[in-house]
Amino acid sequence: MGDKLKIAQPWLTLICRLVLGGVLIAAGVLKIGNLQKSAMAVRAYELLPISLANFLGYSLPWVEIGIGLLLVTGALVRFAGLVGAITMLAFIIAISQAWARGLSIDCGCFGGGGTIDPSQTKYLSEIIRDIGLMALGIYLYFYPKGRFGIEK
Amino acid sequence: MATNNSGDKGTRNLVIAMVAFIVVVGVIFSLVSNRSNSNYAVPATVSEADGYGIVLNPTSTPKIDVYLDYQCPACRAFELINGEYLNEVIAQKKAKVVFHPLTFIGPESIIAANAVACAADENKFVDMNLALYKNQASSENSGKWQGDAMLAVGDSIGLRSDSFKKCVADGKYVKWTGNVSVASGKANINSTPTIRIDGKDLDRNTEYGDPVKFKAALTAGGVK
Repeated sequence: MGDKLKIAQPWLTLICRLVLGGVLIAAGVLKIGNLQKSAMAVRAYELLPISLANFLGYSLPWVEIGIGLLLVTGALVRFAGLVGAITMLAFIIAISQAWARGLSIDCGCFGGGGTIDPSQTKYLSEIIRDIGLMALGIYLYFYPKGRFGIEK
Repeated sequence: MATNNSGDKGTRNLVIAMVAFIVVVGVIFSLVSNRSNSNYAVPATVSEADGYGIVLNPTSTPKIDVYLDYQCPACRAFELINGEYLNEVIAQKKAKVVFHPLTFIGPESIIAANAVACAADENKFVDMNLALYKNQASSENSGKWQGDAMLAVGDSIGLRSDSFKKCVADGKYVKWTGNVSVASGKANINSTPTIRIDGKDLDRNTEYGDPVKFKAALTAGGVK
């Protein structure tokens, strides 16, 4: 690593932590107010058995908040970055298969979700956003040590 | 890591423990609070076996399920396009029709669902159903359905009994709306409106917005 990169790396880590952590916390908090809708969003992907989809709809928002809190505070960054990246990969796969199968759904990423009018789907932008977030998680896995984290 | 001291490590472990606690308690709370409860008061026409829906013509066949939200514009459109025919089917007992008022859009959906359940107890479900859609605000949870709004909607269809007023004011069936939502989740309802005949979804892209196709779909489903 060059000297400039060495100086930038801890700050990049901080930025990745705050962006990925902030997005995850926002995504979780926005779902918690309407968990029935969150469960509906998961069901609409038509990937999982109904009971499992409902369970995921109720529990996923809390997991998102948990990972987000770890990232923002800077505890277990390597682990949280990895889990965050895996979560994003799962979202990318879920959205892609919905697109490929011709389903018309809202990703339900930040609340909302369920079947929508075919003209209102925005799969491409949802996938691009999640790829970006996944990249942040991968970066944190390899460079977990940054500024203003609890882990020194 | 070389500069680590025990204080930092203690803080880190405390943060991890607190986050784990929040996640575990949150998940448990969410699972427990999103279960149906058969102890809640339900309208007389409600059947637990029919997903806690309001049942009209319980002994007729086939069975038509209508999953709706009184704040949903597409549900209003469906009612205005197909409601007249559906009400004819109900009046002539050509089908068992089960209405499931869902509340995903928020607090004013709960207010409306409670009110229509109160109306069902007064044998005024069909009129109240239509009156609520006609009274739908142009935006969600606008404040329009707060306060005495439901009494005014009831009044517009001649529903002025003390029992109705008390039922609305007490929010007698508010908790029941939670049971309806949980049951709709188990029935894999992912959008409103959703119309099913004997468990089979009508095609939302063609049969909801066209009265001729809707009627044909009902006929194909066994409505004579």
